[in-house]
Amino acid sequence: MRARGGLVVVGALLMAYGGWLLLSRQDPGQWLEVLVWLAAAIVAHDVVLSGLLIGVCLLGSRLLPSPWRAPATIALVVWGGLTVAAIPVLTRLGARADNPTLLDRPYVATWCVLSIIVALAVLAAGRVRARARADDPV
Amino acid sequence: MRPTPASFTSRLRSPAVAARVGVWLGICFGTCFLTGLVSHYAQLPTHPVPFPTSPSWGYRLTQGLHVVTGTAAVPLLLVKLWSVLPRLFESLPPLGDPRRLVLTALERGSIAVLVSAAVFQLATGLANSSQWYPWSTFSFRAVHYAVAWVAIGALLVHIAVKLPVIRDVLTSDIDDTAHDRPSATVRGPLSRRALVRTTFAAAGVAVLATAGGTVPWLRRVSVFAVRTGDGPGGVPINKSALAAGVEDTATSPDWRLEVVVDGAVLRTLSYDDLRAMPQHVESLPIACVEGWSAQGTWSGVRMGDLLDGVTGADVQVTSLQPSGPYRRTTLPANFADDRRTLIALDLAGEPLSLDHGYPCRLIAPNRPGVLQTKWVTRLEVST
Repeated sequence: MRARGGLVVVGALLMAYGGWLLLSRQDPGQWLEVLVWLAAAIVAHDVVLSGLLIGVCLLGSRLLPSPWRAPATIALVVWGGLTVAAIPVLTRLGARADNPTLLDRPYVATWCVLSIIVALAVLAAGRVRARARADDPV
Repeated sequence: MRPTPASFTSRLRSPAVAARVGVWLGICFGTCFLTGLVSHYAQLPTHPVPFPTSPSWGYRLTQGLHVVTGTAAVPLLLVKLWSVLPRLFESLPPLGDPRRLVLTALERGSIAVLVSAAVFQLATGLANSSQWYPWSTFSFRAVHYAVAWVAIGALLVHIAVKLPVIRDVLTSDIDDTAHDRPSATVRGPLSRRALVRTTFAAAGVAVLATAGGTVPWLRRVSVFAVRTGDGPGGVPINKSALAAGVEDTATSPDWRLEVVVDGAVLRTLSYDDLRAMPQHVESLPIACVEGWSAQGTWSGVRMGDLLDGVTGADVQVTSLQPSGPYRRTTLPANFADDRRTLIALDLAGEPLSLDHGYPCRLIAPNRPGVLQTKWVTRLEVST
């Protein structure tokens, strides 16, 4: 119990130090934009991404026959996670005409090809599972 | 209709999954925090405790780890937050109970800070790694640093609050239902164990797909790395001569390297003068805060030879860049005295390309790339 209390105090102090750094090293105009970004981070996750995921899962559970659900879920976690992490390279918004060594791969084309492969793998895995079930009715 | 925790029926959304993914998420965030501190310390102009010059690949390792663990944290954070989402819709305690109301507000407030800071750190960090700056006023470096303290503090508070649950679910079977919400009764498409393993696999795939910018043997599989690693002399470029505004001054025949000791010009060297001095070859990495790195074979003049025996003094290195925070940098005394520190003229046996800092650049061991000043025109020491 005492260790937990100590951890809470240390955590609160670290948060306060971070807040003080923000206030002392940026001016009020910059604070405002940081706050907007911090709020946007919550909205982007808790509303946009979570809402999208709830919709996708609902659709999947209604539309996908059961043998395909497990492979589709695995694909969603792995491919979805990677896609989110790859947003900066897929959009190439940091690219600069004067620097050909930056963002120098065909990201979108690769993403499309790999997405098709992932989709085909899900289809195939579902079929294998469906056949296995048909052969071996429990 | 407002959702409530009871609207979420999947057994996968459970403390058992959250804690198992959370342990690795915590390890990633802790690694990011510590390696970030190293990076900020390395970038200070003066070091109360000298930053070591060895091993030469130290900063390459810590900053590579920083970006790799940050990338791995993306799928881990997404699944972790997915598994606890129903808690977002819990109703508040009755208004007549101020003590519980305050405690609940504090707990949920700290969670909001944690989620916000965590998403902010990963989003701004990933954007920076691709040199994408979608914000307009604030400084990435100062704010990423400040919010890191907020995130790690909120994480410690969160761990402290949840410790009994974490301990319980980690010491019991993953399918144990003791801590589940009453409505979490529907079997998911995967078992809990499979979901946790899939999440770890997703983190691994995200690392493999991006780490090639700093791990050369991964280049061929890292299809989403910000850089292939190609560039003049096998080293990519962060800032071009055009972007730095030095194309004319760097190629001018009037270019000279001035060495100033205690305010007096000790020597003024032309490009040919530099070439005529003893040349030394060193294999040293360039490792940038953005997470990419590359080993280069550099040759040029030793810093010590240019300073004529002055040791133990910080060196102010000035670039031709007309502006910017890295126009003038401080090379701490222990780096200036290291025999591997060069004013380099060649990379991979060829004269430096304009974008790599022609006519000459600083290259020192174990130093953030942003401080390996290019287009050097002046070295100053005070004894």
